[in-house]
Amino acid sequence: MSRPGFVLEVDERTPALLVHEGEGFGLRKLPLGSRVVYPPESLPGLRDVDAQIHRAVHHPLGRPPLPELLFAGMKLTIVFDDLSIPLPPMRTPDIRSRIIEQVLELAAAAGVDDVELIAANSLHRRMTPAELRRTVGERVYRSFFPHHLRNHDAEDRANLLEVGTTPHGEVVEINRRAAESDLIVYVNVTLTAMSGGAKSVSVGLGSYRSLKHHHNVHTLRHSRSFNDPPNSAMHHSYDRMAGVLDAHVKIFQIETTVNNDTFPSQLGFLNKREWEWSLRDQAAYLAVKRANELAPAGRRRQLWQRTVAPYGVTSVTAGAPAEVHEVTMRHVLRQQLTEVDGPADVGIFGLPYICPYNVNSIMNPILVMSLGLGYFFNLYRGQPIVRPGGVAIYYHPVRNEFHPVHHPSYIDFFEEVLAETTDPVAIEAKYEEQFATDPWYVHLYRNSYAYHGVHPLYMWYWGAHALEHLGEVIFVGGDRRTTARMGFRSASTLDDALEMAGDRVGRSPSITYLHAPPLTMADVR
Amino acid sequence: MPEPPSGVLDGGHVLLSGATGFLGQALLERLLSGCPTTRVTVLVRGRGSSSGADRLAGILRKSVFNRWTEQVGAAAVRAAVADRVRVVDAELGSSAVALPSDLTAVVHAASIVSFDPPIDDAFRTNVQGVIALYDAVRKAGGNPHVVHVSTAYVASARKGTVPEAALDHDADWRTELASASTARQQVENDSRRPAVLRRALVEARREHGKSGPQSVSTAAEKRRVEWVDKQLIEYGRLRAQSLGWPDVYTFTKALGERVAEEQLTGVLPLSVVRPAIVESALKHPYPGWIDGFKMADPLILAFGRGVLPEFPGLPDGVLDVIPVDIVVNAILAVADAPPPVDDPAYYHVGSGARNPLTFRAMYDNVREYFTNHPMPDGGRGQIKVPTWEFPGSRRVGRMLRTGERVLSVAHQALLHTPPNERTRRWQDDLHRAQGRLDFLRRYADLYGVYTEAEVVYPDARLLALHRALPPERQEEWGFDPAVIDWPHYLQRVHCPAITATVRKATSGRRSGRGALPPLAESSNGGVVAVFDLEGTLVASNVIESYLWARLADLPRLQWPGELADLARRLPRYLAAERRDRGEFIRTFVRRYAGAEEAALHRLVHDRLGDALLRRCHPEAIRRVRKHRAAGHRTVLITGTVDVLVRPLGVLFDEMVASRLHLRDGVYSGFLDAPPLVGEARAAWLRRFALAADVDLTRSYAYGDSYSDRPLLEAVGHPVAVNPDPHLYRHARSRRWPVAQWTAYTLRAGDALAETVR
Repeated sequence: MSRPGFVLEVDERTPALLVHEGEGFGLRKLPLGSRVVYPPESLPGLRDVDAQIHRAVHHPLGRPPLPELLFAGMKLTIVFDDLSIPLPPMRTPDIRSRIIEQVLELAAAAGVDDVELIAANSLHRRMTPAELRRTVGERVYRSFFPHHLRNHDAEDRANLLEVGTTPHGEVVEINRRAAESDLIVYVNVTLTAMSGGAKSVSVGLGSYRSLKHHHNVHTLRHSRSFNDPPNSAMHHSYDRMAGVLDAHVKIFQIETTVNNDTFPSQLGFLNKREWEWSLRDQAAYLAVKRANELAPAGRRRQLWQRTVAPYGVTSVTAGAPAEVHEVTMRHVLRQQLTEVDGPADVGIFGLPYICPYNVNSIMNPILVMSLGLGYFFNLYRGQPIVRPGGVAIYYHPVRNEFHPVHHPSYIDFFEEVLAETTDPVAIEAKYEEQFATDPWYVHLYRNSYAYHGVHPLYMWYWGAHALEHLGEVIFVGGDRRTTARMGFRSASTLDDALEMAGDRVGRSPSITYLHAPPLTMADVR
Repeated sequence: MPEPPSGVLDGGHVLLSGATGFLGQALLERLLSGCPTTRVTVLVRGRGSSSGADRLAGILRKSVFNRWTEQVGAAAVRAAVADRVRVVDAELGSSAVALPSDLTAVVHAASIVSFDPPIDDAFRTNVQGVIALYDAVRKAGGNPHVVHVSTAYVASARKGTVPEAALDHDADWRTELASASTARQQVENDSRRPAVLRRALVEARREHGKSGPQSVSTAAEKRRVEWVDKQLIEYGRLRAQSLGWPDVYTFTKALGERVAEEQLTGVLPLSVVRPAIVESALKHPYPGWIDGFKMADPLILAFGRGVLPEFPGLPDGVLDVIPVDIVVNAILAVADAPPPVDDPAYYHVGSGARNPLTFRAMYDNVREYFTNHPMPDGGRGQIKVPTWEFPGSRRVGRMLRTGERVLSVAHQALLHTPPNERTRRWQDDLHRAQGRLDFLRRYADLYGVYTEAEVVYPDARLLALHRALPPERQEEWGFDPAVIDWPHYLQRVHCPAITATVRKATSGRRSGRGALPPLAESSNGGVVAVFDLEGTLVASNVIESYLWARLADLPRLQWPGELADLARRLPRYLAAERRDRGEFIRTFVRRYAGAEEAALHRLVHDRLGDALLRRCHPEAIRRVRKHRAAGHRTVLITGTVDVLVRPLGVLFDEMVASRLHLRDGVYSGFLDAPPLVGEARAAWLRRFALAADVDLTRSYAYGDSYSDRPLLEAVGHPVAVNPDPHLYRHARSRRWPVAQWTAYTLRAGDALAETVR
């Protein structure tokens, strides 16, 4: 049995603690009395994943067994989560490929000819052929690419279908092929509590017309947090959309969860609690840190981006999306949830090198913002780890660098929009339409490997709740110009950051450090 | 107001030439404001579209009239001018000139202002002009007193004392005039000799060869014209020096005096007034009034800006400076005292004899002024002024020569460095250093004689005239240079006056160079924005894009062979590129021989499109899009093969690229048409503009290489993007905006790695 998560209180005996800071990390001494939130220890993975898959599809929740849903002459669409999860990418074989293979075997056995595989990349960039191959596996890739294994294209008007409208007037528009299929099998990996369930099809196969109903400032400000579906306006919207979808298409959802084995063995110390590091771990820490610092920037990024996680799969559940997702959520929370006693004046977060949108790419300043103020800030249930008006301190270099192919609209957003305003509401009102419909961005999204034009704005909305909640945001080690452009401050050390925070939280503030990754979700009572 | 002068001015009629000049303006103002009964006829030629009367109106708006206008009101000034001033607008020497017959005085203050004009210009104004004017004066009848304004330095560069008398020299103005008048024709002929033209062509080809033959010929012709001017300046200076004058200015002024003497002695009363270095007003119209910069001022300003580390000049030499109002008073007093017709009178107006200002004292005062009132350094505090050691002209000369040699070598070296922010900064520094050195060289050559003078110009006759004024009028109308308190004049009056405008201009922040031109909205498609591809829109070049195409398609085992072959031929490609970009493209596309069209298309669609985007400059793309948003037509011009640039097609209304020749679906390695490079681009653009009804003066062009110069010059808003050193130098000289668009572009290695992954 793995040890549960716990909150450490820093005292004289506490060693320096590991903090991620982009493509690097370091051991940092925190002020005495600071609380550190650790996730539960990594749960054991399933010993026989294939058997569990088999069991899940043959004994689903709320649906007949999969073989009974398959018949000759049917239209079957297998949809899978794109490369934005899990993070870092999973060691091959990817769980998705194992599931897809079993589904395809059943389909073949049932004489299903018309099978399409679609990556549910929504407004994300297309996956490259190599990325697709890695996700679905060599065998599937060879048989289906390029004609029957494709990326979802949210701007291909001819291949979108408006399925209906929710009672709240939210348009539900998804991929036409999927919508017109007799069965959608959705293959999912749920890394955080926000994903999976109702979100999978409505968002993953949706279009801008549909997404704008929940991906907006108002909804995100009322999603507290978006990792806590019952209290998330965004998830309420997903649920309504799922209701509309239920009436039109049959979805057979296969969800999986992974444990907290986030880093490979050579970086094993990153998975452990610092005072339990062996000599080998300490030596590895020193060696990796030194090598990392010496490596040229390009090489360093390459090495980090090649890192794959030896995740263990902790659950595979299949059936009706809502019922499956309930089980999945239990598994996610079991791995990530740690109880914390009340919020602090200051929250500290170490931001890693990767977020959902820079796999095989560059973490740009906007993504840093969305990772810090969006994903990490929202890793809570109940209330944020920082009190209202408190200060969030992030570790990240926030370099002014962008990937010109993957994030073209981000560059323009950073250079032109943020130079004018950082207020999410003002940005939404003035720029969303323009960025969403810009023909050049649409062209790049469809034909190149660019995120959709509106995506940087969504990233900014992702932080809207935090922007409203926090009194101040400080980046330790952040590039001064870049952080200032985003309306934040930068400090060279934690001491300086705390000094700067002093005006808001006083001389001896209470501090909580969310020790992640591996992912930790704070259950703040 | 004190009494005006009596005599010829009282109720008289004065003919004034040179009224648009510094001294002329002051004379006109004084005559109008101080001599209410005097009528004035000004000799002002029309220039361009403005007539003589327009130019007079222009003078009346100048600051010299401010004080008088304040005192009596604009209406009174207008009335006085309407009542008392007439304009004669005609070319002297032509029969059309009809001067009034009732003149009582003629003040000839017109003169060429430059010290080193081409010889024919100098003679035309300073000698021919005198002949023509006095001819016309004699023809007009009457018996006016002619006051001929000359310069103290006509006495040529000798040491000792120069008397207030006719000049003692044997130069024959008729011979010199005749020779000067034919000099231009002669030099023009010389300049067309093959040897001269060949040199001009060789230099032009070296500098502009990449830009194309038309640019070369234009540059060569420009060089020839410059050569002609330089020769004529040499003609003037050397002829002057061979006869004992320091420059053509003083030489022709001396001959002008001789002309006046010959024409007028025994016919009309003649007085010759020889002012020294005329500078800003001591009192009238107000302390510090000056029109533009006079002789000493560029030096003073350069000193204040800290760019004159040293200057040739004798510390004990006398700098004969005289305020303009003293000169004006002297001229008017002289005009009022006509000498006998057969005995012309001569007057020196200077400070050297009775109140000398040594070069050292001048330097001390100017230095003190700038120490107390330093010049602003464009947002970087204030400029520190140098300390001069007066090392003598030999050492300064040596310093100059060494500096010039070093700079010339550095310039050449920098032209061969890779273009980036740092080398451009070096270029800027060199450019500035060169500017300072040129300035120093020019002024050291020109003014050496004035700042090393050991000559005294006694002014006893003028002083007698001053003393003859009634004591109550001496204060207002006097002209005794002994009243000048040099520290006061230099530090309180003159320096503040000449630095005022410069201070205003440089007090703000140094303006960021390279602000892009604003984009004017245009809905009718009458404006185009032309972009070069390589270096401007994308960081890659022909070789790199070929490499992507090749390597992406080739199994890795065969990479070394391909790369080795490319490396082997690289020197040939580079040599071709140096000679002519078109030749390079022709040579290089031979590598595509044998490639299949369909395969290349597929490759571009699947992989190379993104490779191109990886190497693009996002700022450039944004600029293209802004042009489109402003309603401009966007055009891409490139020598690259069209298939490879197709992924950018969405951004452009028009794409002009090289087309590979096809035979049965396979490329032959030849081009379908000559590649569009250099002047061909400009020609294409002009033709396009004509056909598509485009206004090129409102259009925009972006290029990175000197070979884009003709294209950039074809439009009204050129922008140099990441320019090579040649283009950068050119852009600086034309004040074109310079853009640095390199942010967020993936480096070649990273891009290649992602492409072939």
